Amino acid sequence: MSAPYRPLSLLAELTYRCNLQCPYCYNPLDLRAYRRELDAATWCRVLDEAADLGVLQVHFSGGEPTLRPEECVALVRRARERGMYSNLITQGTFLTDDLLDRLLDAGLDHIQISVQAPHAELADQIAGARVHQRKIEALTRVARRPVALTLNCVLHRHNIDQVEDVIALAERVGVRRVELANAQLYGWAYRNRLALLPTREQVERARDRVREAARRLAGRMEITHVLADYYEPYPKPCMNGWGQMFLTVAPDGRVFPCPAAAAITTLRFESVTEKPLAWIWHESESFNAYRGVGWMPEPCRSCERREVDWGGCRCQAFLLTGDAGLTDPACSKSPLHALVTRITEAITAAPQPAELIPRRM
Amino acid sequence: MRTPALAAGVRFRRAADGSAVLLIPEGVVSLNGSAAAVLELVDGRRTVGEIAEDLTRRYEADPAQMQADVAELLAQMSSKMWVVWAPENERQP
Ligand code: SF4
Ligand code: SF4
Repeated sequence: MSAPYRPLSLLAELTYRCNLQCPYCYNPLDLRAYRRELDAATWCRVLDEAADLGVLQVHFSGGEPTLRPEECVALVRRARERGMYSNLITQGTFLTDDLLDRLLDAGLDHIQISVQAPHAELADQIAGARVHQRKIEALTRVARRPVALTLNCVLHRHNIDQVEDVIALAERVGVRRVELANAQLYGWAYRNRLALLPTREQVERARDRVREAARRLAGRMEITHVLADYYEPYPKPCMNGWGQMFLTVAPDGRVFPCPAAAAITTLRFESVTEKPLAWIWHESESFNAYRGVGWMPEPCRSCERREVDWGGCRCQAFLLTGDAGLTDPACSKSPLHALVTRITEAITAAPQPAELIPRRM
Repeated sequence: MRTPALAAGVRFRRAADGSAVLLIPEGVVSLNGSAAAVLELVDGRRTVGEIAEDLTRRYEADPAQMQADVAELLAQMSSKMWVVWAPENERQP
């Protein structure tokens, strides 16, 4: 069972602490349970084990990873020593010139900085703090450095109509990569789903506008647009298949095939403090539970897309149906697809979106 | 003659088994043999012509054809923003 699978990419969630309160955060609801965080020495060992397993890219994330600046610098350096590419996913409010110098000196390859919206008023409202201006300053400073930079914006009902302004902001500060991702409905975002999910009309308008901008900026700006799968006929190939290319290590050391998988309470996920990473990847029950196509029920089992989208997202199947082993209900072929259309119809029918609940510890 | 360099945040890596990849912000791109041979020589100092000459010698290829192939591959890589062109004044002989 173990031979053909090799992880390419590791998401290292250094902490779930964060000074912001984005209602679309995919972090788990029980943030307090993650207060005990792996120390730097353990993280270094995890990176070594990941390199030995064949991992080529490490994404440092959270929470806000730069709340642990010393660890960020040390781990970027370790990743570099082991030939791995490193990416820092940050909201940018602690990215001083000094920290930037040290990260680049350690060999950081790529920084992703998120904004909550293109304009301060809405952005600060979503973040729950006055930070937009500071983020723009961080973006501007990083854009001048010899490091790849991506501006991220999570799209949802409240900001998706301003998608062109996000792209204009990127042009203005000199960012050449933009990632616009519709909120993935896990963790806090799932709790806020009735407030976050845009209407179909909004989604379609945004898609056209982003396409147009991408055409206009071709060769100058790379724009990635991740659509809301609730409105697509087929689900996304989550993580390119469970346990096939990606692994996530949470702040407490537990290892997940997908960053949202902690929600699946029917599986036990081992920690790097208990078992070697290679054992967890190759042998553990959790990583093998939904690997490949053997686990699939109908309609996936006989579907020609089964090795395209791998039956969709296990976490979404669990959140919506209580069974992680069913076809993702976002798929139009799922017998339980009504669980999704019920939500999209409610969104379309409601004149006002539900109230946003800010993420809290 | 223009001088290609890997863009910031792009790295070439050859594994012990000889296979080569380009590590880019969005992920990992596996490279075929000829793309790997070219990118391995992209260092921000060699010009397109020098890279082509080097490969012509190594593979005993037709110089004009090699020149055209290398230029085309690098143009493709540059439209993907993986390769950038070093400014003229920074070019070394
Ligand atoms: S989504 Fe917002 S609240 Fe969650 S970690 Fe990122 S910046 Fe912090
Ligand atoms: S039936 Fe399963 S494999 Fe087929 S498209 Fe839907 S989720 Fe994908």
